[in-house]
Amino acid sequence: MPREAYIAIAIAIVVALVAIFVISFVVYVKTPAPKGCEKKRGPNCENCEQASCRFYSYAEEREEAKKKAAETNRKDQQ
Amino acid sequence: MEKSKKLPIFLDPLLKANPLFVMVLGTCPALAVTTSFEAAIGMGMLFTFVVLFSNIIISALRKVIPDEIRTPCFIVVIATFVTIVKILSSTFLPELYSTLGVFVSLLVVNCIVLGRAEAFASQNTVVDSILDGLGNGVGYTWAIGAIALVREVLGTGTLTFGKTFTFIPETTLPILAKFPGSTFSAAMPVFRSNAGGFLVLGIALAIIAAIENEKKRKEKEKEKAKVAAAKAAAAKAAAAKAMAASEAAAEGGK
Amino acid sequence: MSYIISFILAIVSYMVIDNVILSRYFGICSFIGVSNKIKSAVSMGIAVAFVTILAALVCWPIYTFILVPAKMEYMETIVFILVIASLVQIVGYFIKKKSPTLYRSLGIYLPLITTNCAVLGVVESNMAFDFGRSMANAIGTSLGFILVIFLFACIRGRLESSNTPKAFKGVPIALIVAGIMAIVFMGLSGLIDLGSWGVI
Repeated sequence: MPREAYIAIAIAIVVALVAIFVISFVVYVKTPAPKGCEKKRGPNCENCEQASCRFYSYAEEREEAKKKAAETNRKDQQ
Repeated sequence: MEKSKKLPIFLDPLLKANPLFVMVLGTCPALAVTTSFEAAIGMGMLFTFVVLFSNIIISALRKVIPDEIRTPCFIVVIATFVTIVKILSSTFLPELYSTLGVFVSLLVVNCIVLGRAEAFASQNTVVDSILDGLGNGVGYTWAIGAIALVREVLGTGTLTFGKTFTFIPETTLPILAKFPGSTFSAAMPVFRSNAGGFLVLGIALAIIAAIENEKKRKEKEKEKAKVAAAKAAAAKAAAAKAMAASEAAAEGGK
Repeated sequence: MSYIISFILAIVSYMVIDNVILSRYFGICSFIGVSNKIKSAVSMGIAVAFVTILAALVCWPIYTFILVPAKMEYMETIVFILVIASLVQIVGYFIKKKSPTLYRSLGIYLPLITTNCAVLGVVESNMAFDFGRSMANAIGTSLGFILVIFLFACIRGRLESSNTPKAFKGVPIALIVAGIMAIVFMGLSGLIDLGSWGVI
């Protein structure tokens, strides 16, 4: 096979994997959590400064910040 | 922004918010590759490269990346740079590459790289992110370098250069090595073994905690002294007032 | 027959002698972060074990049958991290959807595993092995992870109520205890010599 074919295969594999990852990530996040554990953080996010933990704490903090900003906007408009 | 606001972005991760010693992140390579000082410095260099370039790309793309899928995007960007680092280091520094082994690939899951992407680069400008990446890289490098220095000197009694970076002439500095004319060596191989990393890092963190505690205690004492002084002044003023009042009353009585 | 015996010996070797945490230093982040309570430590261990075995099962064929014939070994890191991350998300999706009880106990730990060094480290080091040894590596590593994180959580529970010096409270004393555990496990080194069994 020519070299270009290998490069094309490489790009195709990476694109396919990224697509699978993104789709599964979105599907996972969009799926509602079962009842009783909707807002559960990591085991002890407060004292565990793990970046892997931060995924979720940051995501939540961002959402809270967004909500607060929206509320203040509403109040300002009123 | 002013200059005074830019400088702390670079300087904070060196000491005050050191990724290893203060945040206790990235402990896996800090324990695994610190048996030799040179390898640790090499690891720090590769780490700096990855964190710097991933910070640049992520901060440049921060407005393009949709918020929902930013974590996958960060992982892809970081994995790309780790692959680049792997290819570069295996060509130009093959000894370093074989010494570090699988830990070059494990930079992908390094807590600090992802943490900086999430916490800093995705919310700040490119210039700030460059400063942050450099600061974190240098801060982490000196931290693992310090641990490796302790481990290598205590573990082997010598400090060797030129084994991993082959462009340096190979030299061995005897520091704790055998004393002249005796067979006794002060080296303690346990520091070079698997357990040594845990012990050295634990003691380093304890020393830092002790310094922090001392700082806090001094601050508290200062505050207490301030409060006490204020109280004393208030009491004096109150006493003077009372005296004056009683004097006035006595005068009024006359 | 001798292959099966070697397989079992390899599992034991990877589990206690060449332990993930204490001798290969994979997964220390989660080891320190989540080992405060026995229950959460064991849940984390089980989640890591599940994903590690699954990832080893998937990544080895991808490497041997796709990347090697296409001469793209340099792509292993990016392919593996994407495969692991997708696996974690897919498993998380099914647990979330189908089994609330499982989600309650394991769900919060699953997203953390994408960035767990243990999974990627095992998968990367498997690439020099044949399928049997790579599976032994995955199973032994997972069991070793559960074993050590459980033992460590038990010790940490005692540590919290003990009278440690103020500066050593929390992570420093935990690291030193881990160091002592590593010394204990070092005593087992040399018990089993796998040699070049299963190395390609």
